[in-house]
Amino acid sequence: MQQRNRLEPYFENLAFERDDNTMVVNFGPQHPSAHGQLRLILEMEGEQIKKAHPDIGYLHRGMEKMGENMIYNEFLPTTDRMDYIAATANNYAFALAVERLLGIEDKVPRRAKVIRMMLLELNRIISHLFWLATHALDVGAMSVFLYCFREREYAMDLMEDYCGARLTHSAVRIGGVPLDLPPGWLDHLNVYLQKLPDQIKLYEGLLTENRIWRMRLEEVGVIPPEMAKQWACSGIMLRGSGIEYDIRKEEPYELYDEVDFDIPVSDRCDSYGRYLLYMEEMRQSIRILRQLIPMYKETEPELMAHAPEYISAPKEDIMTQNYSLMQHFVLVTQGMRPPVGEVYAPTESPKGELGFFIRSEGEPYAYRMKIRAPSFWHTGILQDLLPGHYLADVVTIIGSTNIVFGEIDR
Amino acid sequence: MAQHPMNSVANAGLPVALTTVDKLVNWGRTNSLWVLTYGLACCAIEMMASGASRYDFDRFGVIFRASPRQADVMIVAGTLTKKHAEFIRRLYDQMAEPKWVISMGSCANTGGMFNTYATVQGVDRVIPVDIYLPGCAPRPETLQYAVMLLQKKLRKRTIFQKQKPKRLV
Amino acid sequence: MRPYKPKDNVQKKSYYTDRFWVAPRIPEESVEDEVYKADLESLAKAVNYKKAYIMRGQLVIIIDAKDNVATLKHLKEECGYEVLSEMSAIDYLAQDGEFEIFYQLLAMSKRRRIRVKCRIKENEAIESVEPIFRSADWSEREMYDMFGIKVNNHPNLKRILMPEDWVGYPLRKTYPLHGDEAAQWYEVDKIFGKEYRDIIGPEQRDPAYVSTTDTCNFARIHHEVPRCADPNSEPEKIEVFNDDALLTETFDLKKAKIVDRNR
Repeated sequence: MQQRNRLEPYFENLAFERDDNTMVVNFGPQHPSAHGQLRLILEMEGEQIKKAHPDIGYLHRGMEKMGENMIYNEFLPTTDRMDYIAATANNYAFALAVERLLGIEDKVPRRAKVIRMMLLELNRIISHLFWLATHALDVGAMSVFLYCFREREYAMDLMEDYCGARLTHSAVRIGGVPLDLPPGWLDHLNVYLQKLPDQIKLYEGLLTENRIWRMRLEEVGVIPPEMAKQWACSGIMLRGSGIEYDIRKEEPYELYDEVDFDIPVSDRCDSYGRYLLYMEEMRQSIRILRQLIPMYKETEPELMAHAPEYISAPKEDIMTQNYSLMQHFVLVTQGMRPPVGEVYAPTESPKGELGFFIRSEGEPYAYRMKIRAPSFWHTGILQDLLPGHYLADVVTIIGSTNIVFGEIDR
Repeated sequence: MAQHPMNSVANAGLPVALTTVDKLVNWGRTNSLWVLTYGLACCAIEMMASGASRYDFDRFGVIFRASPRQADVMIVAGTLTKKHAEFIRRLYDQMAEPKWVISMGSCANTGGMFNTYATVQGVDRVIPVDIYLPGCAPRPETLQYAVMLLQKKLRKRTIFQKQKPKRLV
Repeated sequence: MRPYKPKDNVQKKSYYTDRFWVAPRIPEESVEDEVYKADLESLAKAVNYKKAYIMRGQLVIIIDAKDNVATLKHLKEECGYEVLSEMSAIDYLAQDGEFEIFYQLLAMSKRRRIRVKCRIKENEAIESVEPIFRSADWSEREMYDMFGIKVNNHPNLKRILMPEDWVGYPLRKTYPLHGDEAAQWYEVDKIFGKEYRDIIGPEQRDPAYVSTTDTCNFARIHHEVPRCADPNSEPEKIEVFNDDALLTETFDLKKAKIVDRNR
């Protein structure tokens, strides 16, 4: 028998029966289908939701404060743990912000850019597959979960072959990438890219015309375009409302202006439209990856930007040249000192617009690091989106927003 | 046969019969460890992956449950923050005895890389932990290894033995 | 003598800085871009902004704090900056006794981004922009939570990331990374009560701390040992897991079939 602690008995239904025949239901913070630690306090009238109060912060780990107390290279692995489903997208967003702050964005070698884009698009596929798996599981389709995880594991193998980690990649460095692709990697990627479209067709065959799936998703969670703009939605939440804005296309970074791909847009504004977009985006990622394979072969084998003030020299130089060694020592122990100023760099992560705002005072530590995580606003929109829906739709709506709590709470 | 009256349960008598029962009960217990999914952060994804198709946790009899009342083991997967600490204790108290805790990942073990104001520095400050599982994030194989270690630990129990009070009240 | 540590800014400092080091600055370029120029001209009719320049390709407008609602309203309705993608504050209390608040706006039709900045004193409040941009609802709550900046006319100004009964504002420069005393004992006080502080003990926050003799919290390095085993005992080597398990076959690598990873 456990001894008593100070926690009083806790009644989930805070006020079960009130005079006006409404009840308050507490949902979370540890709920299997809340995609993390979301706590929702729902005021309901019968089955219908009258008011919703999302309560977040259960995964707040103080990352922004950490960013102010770490040198830039030290902080990079921490960004993995933000959107842990697509870690490279975070690494890249941070690296891009710092590169823009340093002014070395153009100095990143072409091969590094191609590798970064490959990893980003592979991560997009991983993230979308994961989204489909969990969303389908929440709505009730167990087999889709198993199928999606099977394909996801192959993509994870590719990531693991490149950087050694399954989940927390840290595969992008400030100024380039640390490693070249291992031998045979492109062949494995090719095999994967050949198999994936059939699998996507399989998922679509299971879901797209499925009567239950359509009944659960159609006309559920309708976000009008005005509301999407008001809540600063981005990514598929925005494009699902009929607004065509993809940062890869509109404000291109890396080599996205050289590859050929489409931005799928849906006017349906509901969860079903967003589901279709996710499937289409996976196909577009495959298309980008296919174009990247020949681009990689044409590049020079150079991986890190040449900016001796900020970036360590290549390993051979450090081993042979005295000055490179000294510079490397200073950069590792003290950290690089960016110029005074501030920068905001947006990127298109699988979830939406992921941006880093960095204020530098010329110290090796950022004076202020603000992380603009898309899911933060996609959770905020729940308080306007949920009222009027039924309790069973809550899970569908949370699922279709594709929120990840590592980046909401940071 | 003993001449004097004897309470075999209280005196832990009847060694042959009871060991067999012990073994049988432990066999059932170790091979149907139902797990309370306590997915908090990144490790939860690996926990899901270990339950999914490639790693197939069902082989070990590990079935994920969403309710603390149906669970034997709590896998704390991810960073425990100070705001959440209260709820993990509540759910731990709601689990039926005997119960065990696997702390999965560096964040749950020691706070890991999040050495900040908002993170609980080790979930063992709040609930007693049986197995610490290192890694950030641990691979699914590591989680299965931890469950095998826990099974090994369970096999040493006898059925009439009450779970000893653990360090934390 | 104890070394002096400044209390108003406890952010980590570089251990060594060259005496004659002068940090370079990112240049503040004049506004040449046609679109930005038109926006500034339009804005000048409505609000008297202090300064405008381009930094790393984005327009920065510095305004007076009391003009923030008028500026954002004008930028949204006249210039097409419809999305408030980000807002927060920067703590300059140690230097100037002020907070700097920035609003990051996006015009999707023009593919342009603007940053509007203003400064307020420590105890001043800022007017909420929630009526113009709904997304400011949560951003302003986050700003209040992290910096303690009060926002006037906000519909629901409560803490958002930290618990309601948290003490202090974490992102201020006076707040240490490891938290103040209330933060360090928060979970113990809440769950067990203050009297359990002695039993549970302070947090171990040294990342390099490894105790080879402590088997109560961790197994011995490289070995699994039973809980609270004698530190001098021989470590138990586990090679086979289910040797004592009933009805279970022991795994044999030689008999196992290894599947080809690419199918």
